[in-house]
Amino acid sequence: MKEQRRVYPMEPRTIMQTSFAKTYLNYLLPELANIGKPASSLSVDRYVDKEIEKTVRYEVDMALALSAQGFAWSHALEHKLRLNVNNNNQVGKSQSYLSHDGYRNTMPVNHEPATEKLEGNPKRSGTEAAAEEEERLTYLRKLIPGGSGEMMLDDEILLSELGSYVSCLELQVNVLRSVLQLN
Amino acid sequence: MTVLERQRARLKWQEEHFQQHQQESYFSELSGVFSSQTGHVQGFHQGGLMSCGGAAGGDSVLSDVMMTRQLKPDPGLETAWPELGKKVDMGAMGFGPCGYGNGQSFDMNQAISRTSSCPPAMAAVEAVEVKGNLEKMGLAVGRESFKKRKVEKLQNSKVVAEDDSKRIKASEEEEEESKITGPNTKKSSNNNKETSGDTSKENSKVSDVQKPDYIHVRARRGQATDSHSLAERVRREKISERMKYLQDLVPGCNKITGKAGMLDEIINYVQSLQRQVEFLSMKLATVNTRLDFDIDNLYGKDVFPSCTSNFSTVGNMPPELANHPPYVQFNPIQQVVSGCGVEMGINSSDMALRRTISASVLIPDASLLNTSCFTGMQQIQPSAAWDVELQNLYNVAFTGSIEGSDLKMEM
Repeated sequence: MKEQRRVYPMEPRTIMQTSFAKTYLNYLLPELANIGKPASSLSVDRYVDKEIEKTVRYEVDMALALSAQGFAWSHALEHKLRLNVNNNNQVGKSQSYLSHDGYRNTMPVNHEPATEKLEGNPKRSGTEAAAEEEERLTYLRKLIPGGSGEMMLDDEILLSELGSYVSCLELQVNVLRSVLQLN
Repeated sequence: MTVLERQRARLKWQEEHFQQHQQESYFSELSGVFSSQTGHVQGFHQGGLMSCGGAAGGDSVLSDVMMTRQLKPDPGLETAWPELGKKVDMGAMGFGPCGYGNGQSFDMNQAISRTSSCPPAMAAVEAVEVKGNLEKMGLAVGRESFKKRKVEKLQNSKVVAEDDSKRIKASEEEEEESKITGPNTKKSSNNNKETSGDTSKENSKVSDVQKPDYIHVRARRGQATDSHSLAERVRREKISERMKYLQDLVPGCNKITGKAGMLDEIINYVQSLQRQVEFLSMKLATVNTRLDFDIDNLYGKDVFPSCTSNFSTVGNMPPELANHPPYVQFNPIQQVVSGCGVEMGINSSDMALRRTISASVLIPDASLLNTSCFTGMQQIQPSAAWDVELQNLYNVAFTGSIEGSDLKMEM
Protein backbone atom coordinates (compact mmCIF):
# COMPACT_ATOMS: atom_id res chain seq x y z
CA MET A 1 0.00 0.00 0.00
CA LYS A 2 2.88 2.31 0.65
CA GLU A 3 3.98 2.03 -2.93
CA GLN A 4 0.92 3.81 -4.15
CA ARG A 5 2.07 7.03 -2.68
CA ARG A 6 5.43 6.92 -4.34
CA VAL A 7 6.26 9.92 -6.39
CA TYR A 8 8.00 8.85 -9.52
CA PRO A 9 10.74 11.24 -10.49
CA MET A 10 11.69 11.74 -14.06
CA GLU A 11 15.03 10.12 -13.70
CA PRO A 12 15.01 8.01 -10.61
CA ARG A 13 18.37 6.47 -11.09
CA THR A 14 20.31 9.58 -11.94
CA ILE A 15 18.75 11.62 -9.21
CA MET A 16 19.35 8.87 -6.75
CA GLN A 17 22.94 8.50 -7.81
CA THR A 18 23.78 12.11 -7.31
CA SER A 19 22.49 12.13 -3.80
CA PHE A 20 23.41 8.59 -2.82
CA ALA A 21 26.83 9.27 -1.40
CA LYS A 22 25.65 12.21 0.60
CA THR A 23 22.62 10.46 2.02
CA TYR A 24 24.59 7.34 2.73
CA LEU A 25 27.28 9.09 4.65
CA ASN A 26 24.83 11.33 6.42
CA TYR A 27 23.23 8.29 7.86
CA LEU A 28 26.18 6.04 8.34
CA LEU A 29 28.78 8.23 9.96
CA PRO A 30 26.73 9.41 12.90
CA GLU A 31 25.55 5.89 13.46
CA LEU A 32 29.08 4.61 13.43
CA ALA A 33 30.06 7.31 15.85
CA ASN A 34 27.32 6.16 18.15
CA ILE A 35 28.58 2.64 17.97
CA GLY A 36 32.13 3.72 18.47
CA LYS A 37 31.69 5.72 21.59
CA PRO A 38 30.21 3.19 23.94
CA ALA A 39 32.41 0.48 22.50
CA SER A 40 35.58 2.26 23.42
CA SER A 41 34.63 2.17 27.03
CA LEU A 42 33.92 -1.54 27.01
CA SER A 43 36.54 -4.17 27.20
CA VAL A 44 37.32 -5.46 23.80
CA ASP A 45 36.58 -9.11 23.80
CA ARG A 46 35.34 -11.32 21.08
CA TYR A 47 31.74 -11.11 21.97
CA VAL A 48 31.72 -7.37 21.79
CA ASP A 49 33.54 -7.46 18.51
CA LYS A 50 30.91 -9.69 17.10
CA GLU A 51 28.25 -7.38 18.35
CA ILE A 52 29.93 -4.43 16.84
CA GLU A 53 30.34 -6.26 13.60
CA LYS A 54 26.71 -7.07 13.48
CA THR A 55 25.72 -3.57 14.35
CA VAL A 56 28.01 -2.09 11.78
CA ARG A 57 26.67 -4.44 9.17
CA TYR A 58 23.18 -3.48 10.12
CA GLU A 59 23.96 0.17 9.82
CA VAL A 60 25.68 -0.35 6.51
CA ASP A 61 22.66 -2.13 5.13
CA MET A 62 20.26 0.36 6.57
CA ALA A 63 22.25 3.19 5.06
CA LEU A 64 21.92 1.50 1.71
CA ALA A 65 18.21 1.04 2.08
CA LEU A 66 17.66 4.63 3.12
CA SER A 67 19.88 6.10 0.45
CA ALA A 68 18.02 4.44 -2.34
CA GLN A 69 14.42 5.21 -1.68
CA GLY A 70 11.82 4.34 -4.20
CA PHE A 71 12.88 0.89 -5.20
CA ALA A 72 11.17 -2.31 -4.24
CA TRP A 73 14.36 -3.87 -3.03
CA SER A 74 15.29 -0.95 -0.81
CA HIS A 75 11.86 -1.02 0.75
CA ALA A 76 12.12 -4.75 1.32
CA LEU A 77 15.59 -4.40 2.75
CA GLU A 78 14.54 -1.76 5.20
CA HIS A 79 11.58 -3.79 6.24
CA LYS A 80 13.68 -6.89 6.72
CA LEU A 81 16.25 -5.05 8.77
CA ARG A 82 13.69 -3.53 11.06
CA LEU A 83 12.00 -6.86 11.46
CA ASN A 84 15.24 -8.49 12.38
CA VAL A 85 15.94 -5.84 14.91
CA ASN A 86 12.68 -6.50 16.61
CA ASN A 87 13.27 -10.20 16.64
CA ASN A 88 16.84 -10.20 17.78
CA ASN A 89 16.70 -7.48 20.29
CA GLN A 90 18.16 -9.43 23.11
CA VAL A 91 20.91 -10.80 20.96
CA GLY A 92 21.83 -7.48 19.51
CA LYS A 93 21.23 -5.88 16.18
CA SER A 94 20.45 -7.95 13.18
CA GLN A 95 22.78 -9.99 11.13
CA SER A 96 23.52 -9.24 7.59
CA TYR A 97 20.55 -9.59 5.34
CA LEU A 98 22.67 -11.94 3.35
CA SER A 99 23.42 -14.14 6.30
CA HIS A 100 21.14 -16.83 5.03
CA ASP A 101 23.56 -17.27 2.22
CA GLY A 102 24.22 -20.91 2.61
CA TYR A 103 23.33 -21.35 -0.98
CA ARG A 104 25.71 -18.71 -2.12
CA ASN A 105 28.37 -21.05 -3.32
CA THR A 106 26.22 -23.93 -4.24
CA MET A 107 24.86 -22.45 -7.39
CA PRO A 108 26.68 -24.06 -10.25
CA VAL A 109 27.60 -21.02 -12.20
CA ASN A 110 29.72 -22.20 -15.05
CA HIS A 111 30.59 -19.81 -17.77
CA GLU A 112 32.22 -22.00 -20.35
CA PRO A 113 29.74 -24.81 -20.57
CA ALA A 114 26.87 -22.38 -20.69
CA THR A 115 28.22 -20.39 -23.55
CA GLU A 116 29.33 -23.50 -25.31
CA LYS A 117 25.90 -24.90 -25.05
CA LEU A 118 24.39 -21.82 -26.47
CA GLU A 119 26.79 -21.54 -29.33
CA GLY A 120 27.39 -25.17 -30.04
CA ASN A 121 23.80 -26.21 -30.29
CA PRO A 122 21.94 -23.63 -32.23
CA LYS A 123 19.07 -25.98 -32.54
CA ARG A 124 18.87 -26.37 -28.83
CA SER A 125 15.30 -26.28 -27.84
CA GLY A 126 14.00 -22.99 -26.66
CA THR A 127 12.56 -24.53 -23.56
CA GLU A 128 15.94 -25.67 -22.28
CA ALA A 129 17.35 -22.19 -22.60
CA ALA A 130 14.26 -20.79 -21.02
CA ALA A 131 14.55 -23.21 -18.14
CA GLU A 132 18.16 -22.24 -17.60
CA GLU A 133 17.21 -18.60 -17.65
CA GLU A 134 14.44 -19.26 -15.18
CA GLU A 135 16.89 -21.02 -12.92
CA ARG A 136 19.17 -18.07 -12.96
CA LEU A 137 16.35 -15.64 -12.47
CA THR A 138 15.18 -17.49 -9.39
CA TYR A 139 18.70 -17.41 -8.08
CA LEU A 140 18.83 -13.69 -8.69
CA ARG A 141 15.59 -13.35 -6.82
CA LYS A 142 17.25 -14.88 -3.82
CA LEU A 143 20.15 -12.50 -4.08
CA ILE A 144 18.22 -9.30 -4.27
CA PRO A 145 16.42 -8.23 -1.11
CA GLY A 146 12.72 -8.57 -1.52
CA GLY A 147 13.19 -10.84 -4.45
CA SER A 148 10.65 -13.30 -3.20
CA GLY A 149 7.90 -10.73 -3.17
CA GLU A 150 5.14 -10.92 -5.68
CA MET A 151 6.32 -7.84 -7.46
CA MET A 152 9.51 -9.54 -8.45
CA LEU A 153 7.70 -12.28 -10.23
CA ASP A 154 7.45 -10.02 -13.22
CA ASP A 155 10.64 -10.29 -15.21
CA GLU A 156 10.72 -6.69 -16.30
CA ILE A 157 10.38 -5.43 -12.80
CA LEU A 158 12.98 -7.88 -11.59
CA LEU A 159 15.48 -6.75 -14.16
CA SER A 160 14.96 -3.07 -13.52
CA GLU A 161 15.22 -3.64 -9.79
CA LEU A 162 18.40 -5.56 -10.43
CA GLY A 163 19.78 -2.64 -12.38
CA SER A 164 19.15 -0.21 -9.59
CA TYR A 165 20.39 -2.68 -6.99
CA VAL A 166 23.64 -3.31 -8.80
CA SER A 167 24.34 0.36 -9.27
CA CYS A 168 23.53 1.08 -5.63
CA LEU A 169 25.80 -1.71 -4.51
CA GLU A 170 28.58 -0.23 -6.55
CA LEU A 171 28.00 3.16 -5.03
CA GLN A 172 27.95 1.67 -1.60
CA VAL A 173 31.21 -0.16 -2.14
CA ASN A 174 32.86 3.03 -3.31
CA VAL A 175 31.62 5.01 -0.39
CA LEU A 176 32.73 2.40 2.10
CA ARG A 177 36.12 2.15 0.49
CA SER A 178 36.59 5.88 0.67
CA VAL A 179 35.55 5.98 4.29
CA LEU A 180 38.06 3.30 5.11
CA GLN A 181 40.82 4.95 3.18
CA LEU A 182 40.30 8.17 5.00
CA ASN A 183 40.89 6.48 8.27
CA MET B 1 -11.01 19.12 -37.84
CA THR B 2 -9.67 16.59 -40.19
CA VAL B 3 -8.07 13.46 -39.05
CA LEU B 4 -4.61 14.60 -40.03
CA GLU B 5 -4.94 17.87 -38.26
CA ARG B 6 -6.03 16.14 -35.18
CA GLN B 7 -3.17 13.76 -35.33
CA ARG B 8 -0.68 16.51 -35.74
CA ALA B 9 -2.12 18.58 -33.00
CA ARG B 10 -2.20 15.61 -30.77
CA LEU B 11 1.42 14.85 -31.31
CA LYS B 12 2.37 18.42 -30.83
CA TRP B 13 0.57 18.46 -27.57
CA GLN B 14 2.14 15.22 -26.67
CA GLU B 15 5.60 16.58 -27.32
CA GLU B 16 4.88 19.62 -25.30
CA HIS B 17 3.90 17.34 -22.54
CA PHE B 18 7.18 15.53 -22.75
CA GLN B 19 9.05 18.70 -22.13
CA GLN B 20 6.95 19.66 -19.23
CA HIS B 21 8.06 17.84 -16.21
CA GLN B 22 5.61 18.83 -13.68
CA GLN B 23 3.37 15.89 -14.02
CA GLU B 24 4.98 14.30 -11.07
CA SER B 25 3.14 16.74 -8.96
CA TYR B 26 -0.05 15.38 -10.34
CA PHE B 27 0.99 11.95 -9.35
CA SER B 28 1.48 12.84 -5.79
CA GLU B 29 -1.92 14.35 -5.63
CA LEU B 30 -3.71 11.72 -7.50
CA SER B 31 -2.00 8.73 -6.11
CA GLY B 32 -4.08 8.76 -3.07
CA VAL B 33 -7.25 8.42 -5.01
CA PHE B 34 -6.61 5.21 -6.79
CA SER B 35 -5.72 1.73 -6.00
CA SER B 36 -3.53 0.11 -8.55
CA GLN B 37 -2.03 -3.26 -8.99
CA THR B 38 1.55 -2.26 -9.42
CA GLY B 39 3.53 0.83 -8.96
CA HIS B 40 4.31 0.94 -12.63
CA VAL B 41 0.77 0.91 -13.69
CA GLN B 42 -0.58 3.45 -11.35
CA GLY B 43 0.44 6.26 -13.56
CA PHE B 44 -1.93 5.17 -16.24
CA HIS B 45 -5.01 5.22 -14.23
CA GLN B 46 -4.50 8.32 -12.31
CA GLY B 47 -5.21 10.98 -14.81
CA GLY B 48 -8.37 9.40 -16.02
CA LEU B 49 -10.40 11.99 -14.31
CA MET B 50 -9.04 14.75 -16.39
CA SER B 51 -10.13 13.94 -19.80
CA CYS B 52 -13.42 12.24 -19.47
CA GLY B 53 -15.15 15.24 -20.80
CA GLY B 54 -13.48 15.34 -24.12
CA ALA B 55 -15.85 15.58 -26.94
CA ALA B 56 -16.18 17.02 -30.37
CA GLY B 57 -17.36 20.39 -29.29
CA GLY B 58 -15.06 20.62 -26.37
CA ASP B 59 -11.87 19.88 -28.21
CA SER B 60 -10.30 23.24 -28.42
CA VAL B 61 -11.67 24.33 -25.13
CA LEU B 62 -10.26 21.37 -23.38
CA SER B 63 -7.00 21.73 -25.13
CA ASP B 64 -6.81 25.26 -23.85
CA VAL B 65 -7.50 24.06 -20.40
CA MET B 66 -4.88 21.45 -20.66
CA MET B 67 -2.36 23.82 -22.11
CA THR B 68 -2.78 26.18 -19.26
CA ARG B 69 -2.45 23.30 -16.96
CA GLN B 70 0.82 22.44 -18.49
CA LEU B 71 2.27 25.78 -17.75
CA LYS B 72 1.41 25.87 -14.15
CA PRO B 73 2.77 23.66 -11.46
CA ASP B 74 0.90 22.53 -8.43
CA PRO B 75 -1.07 25.65 -7.70
CA GLY B 76 -2.44 25.49 -11.17
CA LEU B 77 -3.71 22.05 -10.60
CA GLU B 78 -6.34 23.03 -8.15
CA THR B 79 -7.57 25.84 -10.29
CA ALA B 80 -7.61 23.75 -13.37
CA TRP B 81 -9.84 21.15 -11.86
CA PRO B 82 -12.95 23.24 -11.50
CA GLU B 83 -12.46 24.64 -14.97
CA LEU B 84 -12.22 21.22 -16.33
CA GLY B 85 -15.20 20.18 -14.39
CA LYS B 86 -17.32 22.79 -16.05
CA LYS B 87 -16.09 21.93 -19.43
CA VAL B 88 -16.58 18.34 -18.79
CA ASP B 89 -20.25 18.89 -18.74
CA MET B 90 -20.06 20.60 -22.05
CA GLY B 91 -18.29 17.67 -23.39
CA ALA B 92 -20.82 15.28 -22.11
CA MET B 93 -23.34 16.71 -24.44
CA GLY B 94 -21.21 15.79 -27.32
CA PHE B 95 -21.30 12.17 -26.41
CA GLY B 96 -24.80 11.48 -27.32
CA PRO B 97 -24.81 11.84 -31.03
CA CYS B 98 -21.44 10.27 -31.61
CA GLY B 99 -21.83 6.76 -32.79
CA TYR B 100 -19.76 3.84 -31.88
CA GLY B 101 -18.30 1.50 -34.37
CA ASN B 102 -19.12 -1.55 -32.40
CA GLY B 103 -22.01 -2.47 -30.35
CA GLN B 104 -19.73 -3.53 -27.57
CA SER B 105 -18.55 -0.02 -27.10
CA PHE B 106 -21.95 1.16 -26.21
CA ASP B 107 -21.33 0.62 -22.57
CA MET B 108 -18.20 2.60 -22.88
CA ASN B 109 -20.14 5.49 -24.23
CA GLN B 110 -22.40 5.43 -21.30
CA ALA B 111 -19.59 4.92 -18.93
CA ILE B 112 -17.73 7.84 -20.31
CA SER B 113 -20.69 10.15 -20.24
CA ARG B 114 -21.43 9.03 -16.77
CA THR B 115 -17.91 9.74 -15.77
CA SER B 116 -17.73 13.06 -17.45
CA SER B 117 -20.75 14.42 -15.78
CA CYS B 118 -19.34 13.78 -12.38
CA PRO B 119 -17.24 16.25 -10.49
CA PRO B 120 -13.59 15.58 -10.89
CA ALA B 121 -13.15 13.96 -7.57
CA MET B 122 -15.85 11.53 -8.26
CA ALA B 123 -14.67 11.12 -11.76
CA ALA B 124 -11.44 9.87 -10.37
CA VAL B 125 -13.09 6.90 -8.85
CA GLU B 126 -15.24 6.21 -11.79
CA ALA B 127 -12.42 6.60 -14.16
CA VAL B 128 -11.00 3.48 -12.70
CA GLU B 129 -14.19 1.70 -13.48
CA VAL B 130 -14.15 3.11 -16.93
CA LYS B 131 -10.69 1.83 -17.33
CA GLY B 132 -11.77 -1.54 -16.21
CA ASN B 133 -14.60 -1.56 -18.68
CA LEU B 134 -12.37 -0.42 -21.42
CA GLU B 135 -9.93 -3.13 -20.73
CA LYS B 136 -12.56 -5.77 -20.87
CA MET B 137 -14.09 -4.48 -24.02
CA GLY B 138 -10.83 -3.53 -25.54
CA LEU B 139 -9.72 -7.06 -25.95
CA ALA B 140 -12.71 -7.99 -27.97
CA VAL B 141 -12.76 -4.88 -30.03
CA GLY B 142 -9.05 -4.66 -30.22
CA ARG B 143 -8.61 -7.76 -32.20
CA GLU B 144 -10.86 -6.55 -34.92
CA SER B 145 -9.34 -3.13 -34.96
CA PHE B 146 -5.86 -4.43 -35.19
CA LYS B 147 -6.62 -6.20 -38.34
CA LYS B 148 -8.01 -3.05 -39.75
CA ARG B 149 -5.34 -0.63 -38.95
CA LYS B 150 -1.90 -0.11 -37.70
CA VAL B 151 -1.31 1.55 -34.47
CA GLU B 152 1.43 3.71 -33.26
CA LYS B 153 3.82 2.77 -30.59
CA LEU B 154 4.28 5.38 -27.97
CA GLN B 155 6.66 5.90 -25.29
CA ASN B 156 5.18 5.07 -22.02
CA SER B 157 7.59 6.37 -19.53
CA LYS B 158 6.41 8.20 -16.55
CA VAL B 159 5.98 11.35 -18.52
CA VAL B 160 3.80 9.73 -21.05
CA ALA B 161 1.87 7.95 -18.42
CA GLU B 162 0.62 11.18 -17.09
CA ASP B 163 0.32 12.39 -20.60
CA ASP B 164 -1.84 9.55 -21.67
CA SER B 165 -3.88 9.36 -18.63
CA LYS B 166 -5.05 12.86 -19.13
CA ARG B 167 -6.40 12.17 -22.49
CA ILE B 168 -8.95 9.50 -22.14
CA LYS B 169 -10.94 9.49 -25.23
CA ALA B 170 -14.30 10.72 -26.03
CA SER B 171 -16.74 9.02 -28.26
CA GLU B 172 -14.97 9.62 -31.51
CA GLU B 173 -12.00 7.79 -30.35
CA GLU B 174 -13.74 4.85 -29.01
CA GLU B 175 -12.41 2.56 -31.64
CA GLU B 176 -8.85 3.51 -31.16
CA GLU B 177 -9.27 3.62 -27.47
CA SER B 178 -10.73 0.24 -27.21
CA LYS B 179 -8.31 -1.36 -29.49
CA ILE B 180 -5.42 0.04 -27.66
CA THR B 181 -6.60 -0.32 -24.16
CA GLY B 182 -6.97 -3.97 -24.67
CA PRO B 183 -3.52 -5.30 -25.01
CA ASN B 184 -1.42 -2.81 -23.31
CA THR B 185 -2.90 -1.25 -20.31
CA LYS B 186 -0.76 -3.30 -18.07
CA LYS B 187 2.45 -2.96 -19.95
CA SER B 188 4.46 0.14 -20.30
CA SER B 189 6.85 0.62 -23.06
CA ASN B 190 9.90 2.67 -22.46
CA ASN B 191 10.86 2.77 -26.03
CA ASN B 192 11.62 6.29 -27.00
CA LYS B 193 12.43 5.64 -30.58
CA GLU B 194 9.01 5.24 -31.96
CA THR B 195 7.41 8.05 -30.13
CA SER B 196 7.82 10.88 -32.52
CA GLY B 197 7.34 11.12 -36.17
CA ASP B 198 4.83 8.40 -36.56
CA THR B 199 1.90 10.61 -37.21
CA SER B 200 1.45 9.58 -40.73
CA LYS B 201 0.97 6.00 -39.83
CA GLU B 202 -1.78 6.65 -37.45
CA ASN B 203 -5.09 6.64 -39.09
CA SER B 204 -7.57 6.80 -36.34
CA LYS B 205 -9.95 9.56 -35.73
CA VAL B 206 -8.41 11.16 -32.75
CA SER B 207 -9.16 14.47 -31.32
CA ASP B 208 -6.18 16.60 -30.77
CA VAL B 209 -6.64 16.84 -27.09
CA GLN B 210 -7.58 13.44 -25.95
CA LYS B 211 -5.46 10.43 -26.11
CA PRO B 212 -6.36 7.14 -24.69
CA ASP B 213 -4.59 5.65 -21.82
CA TYR B 214 -2.87 2.94 -23.74
CA ILE B 215 0.15 2.09 -25.72
CA HIS B 216 0.20 2.16 -29.45
CA VAL B 217 1.97 -0.80 -30.82
CA ARG B 218 2.69 -1.13 -34.44
CA ALA B 219 2.01 -4.51 -35.84
CA ARG B 220 4.96 -5.46 -37.92
CA ARG B 221 4.71 -6.88 -41.35
CA GLY B 222 4.35 -10.58 -41.29
CA GLN B 223 3.76 -10.75 -37.59
CA ALA B 224 0.64 -11.55 -35.75
CA THR B 225 -1.54 -8.63 -34.99
CA ASP B 226 -3.14 -10.37 -32.12
CA SER B 227 -3.34 -8.16 -29.11
CA HIS B 228 -1.74 -10.81 -26.98
CA SER B 229 1.27 -11.29 -29.17
CA LEU B 230 1.71 -7.55 -29.48
CA ALA B 231 1.70 -7.22 -25.75
CA GLU B 232 4.19 -10.01 -25.56
CA ARG B 233 6.39 -8.32 -28.05
CA VAL B 234 6.35 -5.10 -26.08
CA ARG B 235 7.19 -7.03 -23.00
CA ARG B 236 10.05 -8.83 -24.66
CA GLU B 237 11.44 -5.61 -25.97
CA LYS B 238 11.33 -4.09 -22.55
CA ILE B 239 13.07 -7.04 -21.07
CA SER B 240 15.81 -6.89 -23.64
CA GLU B 241 16.17 -3.19 -23.01
CA ARG B 242 16.67 -3.87 -19.33
CA MET B 243 19.14 -6.60 -20.13
CA LYS B 244 21.10 -4.16 -22.23
CA TYR B 245 21.19 -1.72 -19.37
CA LEU B 246 22.45 -4.43 -17.08
CA GLN B 247 25.03 -5.33 -19.66
CA ASP B 248 26.37 -1.82 -19.52
CA LEU B 249 26.35 -1.89 -15.79
CA VAL B 250 28.14 -5.16 -15.24
CA PRO B 251 31.72 -4.96 -16.41
CA GLY B 252 32.92 -7.41 -18.97
CA CYS B 253 29.58 -8.35 -20.38
CA ASN B 254 30.09 -7.07 -23.85
CA LYS B 255 31.31 -10.32 -25.27
CA ILE B 256 28.63 -12.47 -23.82
CA THR B 257 25.69 -12.81 -26.10
CA GLY B 258 23.38 -15.34 -24.54
CA LYS B 259 20.80 -14.32 -22.05
CA ALA B 260 21.74 -17.11 -19.69
CA GLY B 261 25.39 -16.12 -19.86
CA MET B 262 24.47 -12.57 -19.12
CA LEU B 263 22.47 -13.65 -16.13
CA ASP B 264 25.42 -15.69 -14.97
CA GLU B 265 27.63 -12.66 -15.11
CA ILE B 266 25.08 -10.61 -13.28
CA ILE B 267 24.83 -13.21 -10.57
CA ASN B 268 28.56 -13.31 -10.16
CA TYR B 269 28.82 -9.58 -10.06
CA VAL B 270 26.07 -9.17 -7.52
CA GLN B 271 27.64 -11.83 -5.35
CA SER B 272 31.04 -10.24 -5.57
CA LEU B 273 29.62 -6.83 -4.70
CA GLN B 274 27.79 -8.24 -1.73
CA ARG B 275 30.93 -9.98 -0.56
CA GLN B 276 32.84 -6.75 -0.90
CA VAL B 277 30.26 -4.91 1.14
CA GLU B 278 30.47 -7.54 3.82
CA PHE B 279 34.24 -7.41 3.89
CA LEU B 280 34.29 -3.63 4.00
CA SER B 281 31.75 -3.49 6.76
CA MET B 282 33.80 -5.91 8.84
CA LYS B 283 36.84 -3.81 8.24
CA LEU B 284 34.86 -0.77 9.21
CA ALA B 285 33.85 -2.46 12.42
CA THR B 286 37.45 -3.12 13.38
CA VAL B 287 38.44 0.39 12.49
CA ASN B 288 35.54 1.70 14.43
CA THR B 289 36.72 0.19 17.64
CA ARG B 290 40.17 1.60 17.30
CA LEU B 291 39.77 5.10 16.02
CA ASP B 292 38.02 7.99 17.49
CA PHE B 293 35.10 9.10 15.50
CA ASP B 294 35.03 12.67 16.66
CA ILE B 295 35.62 13.68 13.12
CA ASP B 296 32.02 12.87 12.49
CA ASN B 297 30.93 15.48 14.93
CA LEU B 298 32.96 18.08 13.14
CA TYR B 299 31.50 16.89 9.91
CA GLY B 300 28.02 17.14 11.27
CA LYS B 301 28.37 20.57 12.81
CA ASP B 302 30.37 22.60 10.41
CA VAL B 303 29.40 21.51 7.01
CA PHE B 304 25.68 21.17 7.06
CA PRO B 305 24.63 24.69 7.95
CA SER B 306 26.70 26.15 5.17
CA CYS B 307 25.41 23.63 2.70
CA THR B 308 21.75 23.75 3.38
CA SER B 309 21.62 27.47 2.87
CA ASN B 310 23.33 27.11 -0.45
CA PHE B 311 21.15 24.32 -1.65
CA SER B 312 18.11 26.43 -1.88
CA THR B 313 19.75 29.05 -4.02
CA VAL B 314 21.59 26.83 -6.37
CA GLY B 315 18.86 24.33 -6.65
CA ASN B 316 16.49 26.79 -8.18
CA MET B 317 18.58 27.63 -11.11
CA PRO B 318 17.96 24.88 -13.59
CA PRO B 319 14.51 25.51 -14.89
CA GLU B 320 13.65 21.98 -15.72
CA LEU B 321 14.17 20.86 -12.20
CA ALA B 322 12.48 23.84 -10.65
CA ASN B 323 9.19 22.10 -10.65
CA HIS B 324 10.38 19.21 -8.58
CA PRO B 325 10.55 20.47 -5.03
CA PRO B 326 11.64 17.16 -3.63
CA TYR B 327 14.49 16.92 -6.05
CA VAL B 328 15.68 20.47 -6.20
CA GLN B 329 18.20 19.81 -3.51
CA PHE B 330 19.85 17.14 -5.57
CA ASN B 331 20.94 19.56 -8.16
CA PRO B 332 23.84 21.04 -6.24
CA ILE B 333 25.12 17.54 -5.77
CA GLN B 334 25.18 16.96 -9.45
CA GLN B 335 26.90 20.24 -9.91
CA VAL B 336 29.38 19.21 -7.33
CA VAL B 337 30.01 16.13 -9.28
CA SER B 338 30.37 17.86 -12.57
CA GLY B 339 32.57 20.50 -11.05
CA CYS B 340 34.80 17.92 -9.48
CA GLY B 341 35.06 15.76 -12.46
CA VAL B 342 36.11 18.40 -14.88
CA GLU B 343 38.67 20.19 -12.82
CA MET B 344 41.92 18.43 -13.01
CA GLY B 345 44.00 20.79 -10.99
CA ILE B 346 42.63 19.74 -7.68
CA ASN B 347 44.47 20.09 -4.47
CA SER B 348 45.57 16.77 -3.16
CA SER B 349 44.51 17.62 0.32
CA ASP B 350 40.84 17.43 -0.33
CA MET B 351 40.40 14.46 -2.51
CA ALA B 352 38.69 11.74 -0.63
CA LEU B 353 35.15 12.92 -0.61
CA ARG B 354 35.25 14.30 -4.08
CA ARG B 355 36.53 11.02 -5.24
CA THR B 356 33.80 9.35 -3.33
CA ILE B 357 31.05 11.34 -4.78
CA SER B 358 32.36 11.53 -8.27
CA ALA B 359 33.35 7.93 -8.21
CA SER B 360 30.01 6.90 -7.00
CA VAL B 361 28.38 8.71 -9.83
CA LEU B 362 30.93 7.86 -12.42
CA ILE B 363 30.82 4.18 -12.06
CA PRO B 364 27.24 3.79 -12.98
CA ASP B 365 27.20 6.64 -15.40
CA ALA B 366 30.53 6.77 -17.09
CA SER B 367 29.21 8.87 -19.89
CA LEU B 368 28.66 11.80 -17.63
CA LEU B 369 32.23 12.67 -16.82
CA ASN B 370 35.45 12.04 -18.50
CA THR B 371 36.75 8.72 -17.34
CA SER B 372 40.27 9.96 -17.54
CA CYS B 373 39.44 12.42 -14.81
CA PHE B 374 38.24 9.58 -12.71
CA THR B 375 41.37 7.50 -13.07
CA GLY B 376 43.53 10.54 -12.52
CA MET B 377 41.79 11.41 -9.35
CA GLN B 378 42.04 7.97 -7.98
CA GLN B 379 45.76 8.23 -7.66
CA ILE B 380 45.65 11.23 -5.43
CA GLN B 381 46.02 10.38 -1.82
CA PRO B 382 43.54 11.71 0.65
CA SER B 383 45.01 13.35 3.63
CA ALA B 384 42.84 16.02 5.15
CA ALA B 385 40.13 15.73 7.68
CA TRP B 386 36.50 15.33 6.75
CA ASP B 387 35.33 18.79 7.45
CA VAL B 388 38.01 20.53 5.46
CA GLU B 389 37.37 18.33 2.50
CA LEU B 390 33.69 18.77 2.63
CA GLN B 391 33.91 22.49 2.86
CA ASN B 392 36.23 22.62 -0.07
CA LEU B 393 33.96 20.33 -1.88
CA TYR B 394 30.98 22.52 -1.44
CA ASN B 395 32.95 25.66 -2.14
CA VAL B 396 33.97 24.27 -5.46
CA ALA B 397 30.41 23.53 -6.23
CA PHE B 398 29.03 26.91 -5.44
CA THR B 399 31.78 29.25 -6.42
CA GLY B 400 33.00 27.44 -9.45
CA SER B 401 31.23 27.11 -12.70
CA ILE B 402 28.04 25.24 -12.82
CA GLU B 403 28.43 22.93 -15.67
CA GLY B 404 26.79 19.93 -16.98
CA SER B 405 23.72 20.23 -14.93
CA ASP B 406 21.94 17.78 -17.12
CA LEU B 407 22.88 14.33 -16.16
CA LYS B 408 22.50 11.98 -18.97
CA MET B 409 19.52 9.90 -18.29
CA GLU B 410 20.23 6.24 -18.25
CA MET B 411 16.95 4.58 -18.08
